[in-house]
Amino acid sequence: MTEVKQLKSDPTPLHLIIEKRKKRFYILLTLFFGLVQLLWVGVPIVMAVMWSLVDPANPWSFPDMFPPSISPHQWQYVFKYTNIARALKTSYAIAPIAVVLSFILSLPTAYVMGRKNIPGKKIFMLVVLLPIIMPGMVVALFLSRVFTSFGLSQSFFGLVLAHTLMGIPYMIRVLTTSFQAIPQDVIDAAENLGATTFVKIKDIFLPMIRPGLLAGMIFAFTASIEEFNLTFIIGTPTFETIPTILFSFMGYNFIRTNASVVALIMMTPNIIMLFIVERFLKSDYLAASLGKM
Amino acid sequence: MRKVFTVILLAVIALSVVSAAGKVEAPVPTIDLQTSSWSAIVEEAKNEGELTFLAWYFPDYFREAAADFEKEYGIKVNVIIGEQTANFNKLISEKDRAVGTVDVSIVGGQWVKTTMDLDLFYGPIKNILPDADKLAPSLWEVQEGVLVRGFLAPFHRNQTGILYDPQRVTNPPQTFKELERWIDANPRMFGFNDPSRGGSGQAFVHTVIDNVAGGLDRYVGDTEVIPEKVANWDLVWKWFNDRKDKLTFTVSNNDSIIKINDGQMSMTYAWDDNVQEMMNHGNIFTRAKMYIPEMGAAGGGDTLGVLKNAKNKAAGLVFIHHLGSKAQQEKKFNMVGAYPARTDVPLSGTLLTEADRTNNAIAWFPAPYKDFMISEFVKHVLMTK
Repeated sequence: MTEVKQLKSDPTPLHLIIEKRKKRFYILLTLFFGLVQLLWVGVPIVMAVMWSLVDPANPWSFPDMFPPSISPHQWQYVFKYTNIARALKTSYAIAPIAVVLSFILSLPTAYVMGRKNIPGKKIFMLVVLLPIIMPGMVVALFLSRVFTSFGLSQSFFGLVLAHTLMGIPYMIRVLTTSFQAIPQDVIDAAENLGATTFVKIKDIFLPMIRPGLLAGMIFAFTASIEEFNLTFIIGTPTFETIPTILFSFMGYNFIRTNASVVALIMMTPNIIMLFIVERFLKSDYLAASLGKM
Repeated sequence: MRKVFTVILLAVIALSVVSAAGKVEAPVPTIDLQTSSWSAIVEEAKNEGELTFLAWYFPDYFREAAADFEKEYGIKVNVIIGEQTANFNKLISEKDRAVGTVDVSIVGGQWVKTTMDLDLFYGPIKNILPDADKLAPSLWEVQEGVLVRGFLAPFHRNQTGILYDPQRVTNPPQTFKELERWIDANPRMFGFNDPSRGGSGQAFVHTVIDNVAGGLDRYVGDTEVIPEKVANWDLVWKWFNDRKDKLTFTVSNNDSIIKINDGQMSMTYAWDDNVQEMMNHGNIFTRAKMYIPEMGAAGGGDTLGVLKNAKNKAAGLVFIHHLGSKAQQEKKFNMVGAYPARTDVPLSGTLLTEADRTNNAIAWFPAPYKDFMISEFVKHVLMTK
């Protein structure tokens, strides 16, 4: 009642008041999401940066809120005493190939799962996820036998194949959803206008699954960059990837300072790639939803 | 689409066959390592020319030791620093291969029984290595309650004890009764790790068994768990359950040390070499102090072994000899502070005093009891409310 009175007495037009309130609400919402982002993503990164700069001569301990002094020692240590440069090269050589291969190998399955009604589809979709549901080391130990018997362990091709296998579940899952989302009337209309299979693939399927493809690529790429178990069992000692080094500081022998350095090294290119792909994803998704392909 | 798929499939199969064709066959040994002279083994090692070494800590020391080794013998060492559990999973997964990818590995106390039971290592090597008698004699025979029969060479000796923050603990407990009183007066400020995830937690539970269930002497020499001897261990589990809300359980050896550094605990059981490494990396304050209490704490040591299916066994043996040399043991102590396995290395500035080591360090009970202790602790303490 008081509000109504106030509105009546206020000479400002009602739509401007509502506009003002909306603006205030959006600012509050932005601040809230900013805070959530800061806590969720920002704090761990800031903590990793601070731990990576801890000076061994002045450890960061209770009750200090911040490191008493900073030093590049931890970074120098990682670059001097680990094979991080070699690991970076190997990781970023494997990941793009694994992403492309997992896309090529997933495409036919995803098409069938997304567009055709086949018996046992739901069970198959669950089975596809098994490699990422089962503990990584269990999958690695079983697969290592197969890789060894085919002479694929300790080879670059074997590693690419292993990473491809770990990327396929993500790729199939995301692409299947993309194929499912394509409206049948768009395909029917194209057929009525005489579109050949090639034209349908080029002008309908590929552009419309592009957002899903990019999302699948992010998952497959990240899965490859972070893959440890299979890489370690079948690739080490001939090959070392970044997680091999990260795990040496993170597992049983957890050294927070060095683990932070390696985590930051591993994280930075991924974040850059994520931003780039996110831009593509947004524009393509809008284009697809508006039918401007 | 079908054509593309067929082409890819054929390419994968073709590449697999090509890779399989290049598979490494088991090398034929040119000399018998058990009977050859040391100089002949060194010659054989030089012919092998390289080796792969697997560890999960001290990347700085091992890379320098490898560089020294290459300089002295001209043999290249590929040092791989992995994660402990993953390392052993890898070694086990390669067990049945004619030739493995690893030649030498560090063996931590937690993995001695599994690896010895699986017969992963070549040996015995004690009779082959010169100066073997200079390395801790007890570790050549038994490591953390497991008979190693000269298959694993001592690398360093480590010891558990109580780590504490002297700013928060002014009069740390020595006896079991004092510890009980301290825990009651300072809830949650004492902790230890889940014994299934690290030796320092095992050492604490071991000490509690010693003090609550009536000494450790009665288990000596047993090769399996005698049910009558563990019948009163329910008193031990009761001791833990009665104090569950006053104790802090951590997830690993290093997690306990981190919680001391972060002020979440003031006192914990820890390995001296872990603490020293964490100090070297700035992960715990330098004011931290450590001692072996009068109630006792078990010690052990890490060892080195040559894998049975190693491609470069002679080079592996020479590398183990190199790591056990006086110069390298001194270098390791100076670089990372790990207590040497050699008994003829002069020491100063250790975390634990020699008096503590002599008077208060205790031996582990036999391995079957240790396994039983871990599984029973999980069942009766961790899995109960």
